[in-house]
Amino acid sequence: MLTRNRVLLGGTLIELAPLRYTPAGIAVQQLVISHESQQVECGTERRVLAQVKAIAIGDKAAPLSHLVIGQQLVVKGFLAATSQRYPDRLALHIDEYELLN
Amino acid sequence: MLTERYVTVALDVPLPQCFDYLLLQGEVAVGERVVVPFGRQTLSGVVLAVHGETPQVAKLRAVESIPGDMPALPSDVIALCRFCADYYAYPIGAVFAAAIPGAFRQAQPWPGFEAAMAYVAPDVEALLAALSPRAHKQRALALQLAQPLAVEAIRAVAGDAMRWVRDWQESGLVVQTRQSAVALQCAPSASPALNDEQAAAVAAVNAAQGYSPMLLYGITGSGKTEVYLQAIAATRAAGHQALVLVPEINLTPQLEARFRARFPGEHIVSLHSGLADGERVRGWLAAGEGRAGIVLGTRLAVFTPLPRLGLVVVDEEHDPSYRQAEGFRYSARDAAVYRARLRDVPVLLGSATPSLESWRNAQEGRYRLLTLRQRAVSGAMPPKIELVPIQRARMVDGFSEYVLAAMRSTLAASGQVLVFINRRGYAPVLSCHECGWISSCKHCSAKLVLHLAERRLRCHHCGYDIRVPLACPDCGNHDLKPLGHGTQRVEAVLAELFPDANVLRIDRDSTRRRGALGEMLRQVHAGEADILVGTQMMAKGHDFPGLQLVVVLNADTGLFSVDFRAEERLFAQLLQVAGRAGRAGKPGRVLIQSMYAEHPFYHALVAGDYAEFADAQLTERRSLALPPYAAWAVLRAEAKQLASALDFLREAASLLAGYPVHVATPVPAAMARKAGWERAHAVISADARPPLQAALRLLAAHYAEAAPRGVRWALDVDPQEF
Repeated sequence: MLTRNRVLLGGTLIELAPLRYTPAGIAVQQLVISHESQQVECGTERRVLAQVKAIAIGDKAAPLSHLVIGQQLVVKGFLAATSQRYPDRLALHIDEYELLN
Repeated sequence: MLTERYVTVALDVPLPQCFDYLLLQGEVAVGERVVVPFGRQTLSGVVLAVHGETPQVAKLRAVESIPGDMPALPSDVIALCRFCADYYAYPIGAVFAAAIPGAFRQAQPWPGFEAAMAYVAPDVEALLAALSPRAHKQRALALQLAQPLAVEAIRAVAGDAMRWVRDWQESGLVVQTRQSAVALQCAPSASPALNDEQAAAVAAVNAAQGYSPMLLYGITGSGKTEVYLQAIAATRAAGHQALVLVPEINLTPQLEARFRARFPGEHIVSLHSGLADGERVRGWLAAGEGRAGIVLGTRLAVFTPLPRLGLVVVDEEHDPSYRQAEGFRYSARDAAVYRARLRDVPVLLGSATPSLESWRNAQEGRYRLLTLRQRAVSGAMPPKIELVPIQRARMVDGFSEYVLAAMRSTLAASGQVLVFINRRGYAPVLSCHECGWISSCKHCSAKLVLHLAERRLRCHHCGYDIRVPLACPDCGNHDLKPLGHGTQRVEAVLAELFPDANVLRIDRDSTRRRGALGEMLRQVHAGEADILVGTQMMAKGHDFPGLQLVVVLNADTGLFSVDFRAEERLFAQLLQVAGRAGRAGKPGRVLIQSMYAEHPFYHALVAGDYAEFADAQLTERRSLALPPYAAWAVLRAEAKQLASALDFLREAASLLAGYPVHVATPVPAAMARKAGWERAHAVISADARPPLQAALRLLAAHYAEAAPRGVRWALDVDPQEF
């Protein structure tokens, strides 16, 4: 169980960085997804708002780079720290996604 | 009774002594070369003595052959080599091997020998008498052979001409000879008028009699080269040869062009390690036979035979490239001064930032100081140096907004900009931000430099070269990021920030192809390039009239070195690169980005007063008993294990107990591991030169006899880097 790390998140694309490549030539797309939903907590419904940094490395990067701001999508992936210096700053590494509208 | 003849030969072997051989037949003179057996090898060596005294060796062997292709080294070159072998505690045979062209180190005779020879008919009448009266071409050639004629000239007479000459040679009508000195009548083309300071400097050089060392201290753009040219013109007018040393092979073609333009018709030889062997030999022979009036060369040219030497010039005398970094670690500048002393001729050392050694010699009156304080082009002002603090500045890809604004306005006024960064490659290191991995060399304590275009990681110290890894070797993260800036990254950044400007990168990588540098320099001069991105290759000597702004990135790296010469070198380099700006009348501006703008070093630099800086440094060196106020040498050792290297150094130190020298505790080198070897060194110092020399001689002799196992060692006299 300790090795489990799976996130499923739906939302709207609100930021899309320019597509870039690693020095080895692998495509990298960084983006931000705005999430808004109703969730049950402590027995009552509440509103949830979140902006989540996400990154796609490899063959998913180029297709994602063609999206337009406002696109709704569901992404699946895992969480990882963006740097060792700030282990509490996380990014969602996308390995699957689905477009909604 | 027939007396036996013996020769003493300097052989290129790692032993300090010379070797005696029996000379059974043939004639050989001191300074010529012979081929001898050595162990199971056959080696070529230079003859240092021919004598009749039976050497005290068990098994005397005989000279195998006398190639006869190398003219005898003159006595001053032999004396210079002997001096260097002693001073640098380096095997004498290896010194001679370094002093002569590679072709003359082979056991085989030089194949180009014949082409370099001339032919002459001692008795033209006899030759003519032997020819058919109707052989017009042969008769014409015979008449020409009254004077020594080179092979090319003979071939020009007729396709068959060399065959005739060989036939005549067999019948003794023609003899082979060395090409003789042709007294060239060389009138220099019009030279520009000198300002008062330049005129005084030229007058001082021309008035100098015998050995007189002079330090020409002139700010960048003050026209030092013009002083050399006019002093050389006087030397040539007196029928003497001039030896001109330059630090960089890159600078020789440019300087050569300038010399050729000034001295049309003059035989100018350029000697540097980039020449093909044959070319070097021909140049060397032309100098040694007195046919070449001017020899331009890098450090190895200091050993060129010059029968009519009248003036020695060392340009940019402070430059570290005068110092050979490996093997025979000599300083060509110091050798040049010694050579001038041997030949009793003037020697002119020029620089905008003289070495502290030469500065001290000038201050204490051993060298005559000639000063140029003004820029030569009238109205040209020394560049204005400004520091740009970047601790809190907003940076755009390594450039501060302030610097970018200055670049924009310079480009808008169609001026050229030089961005100086002494680091080639795309980024000095590739890193993983997630786990902290950085690209390190397997064999060195150094980082692998990212070369993005080729997708390679390269070690700039040992040549280790791998593909950029797809993912972090430690954690598997694919998103590896370049850290820091190299020339390639600066080029890419500027191309994006200034899409309308033509960005040209000039570094060792972009100029690897033959002729590439020449083409790039042409583009710069033609104004086809707007922004130049360059390493220290661009700092020296170049004269770009359109250059108005110099931006220096990453200067701080030189500030915090353990090396006591680091500041001296940084000052020289920054002042040199600053001097590229505003050379043709338009004001030049220099911006240095720094995290430590308050550092006292930069205050001296901004003031631009090298004299003040040098005096302050000398005071500091004197109080700390550092060179030039103490004689230093470094014993370097490399081994697979650091402990073995340190053990060797400790043992060496114990050998020197009782000598009036101080041996510092052995320590690992600043770069502790290189190409798989662990490196350490020990500083050996003394108040005076003789005790240091004695100690070094002892070490060299001891370890030549008893080579340490698994340890590579070297002595570095007057070490320049730690």
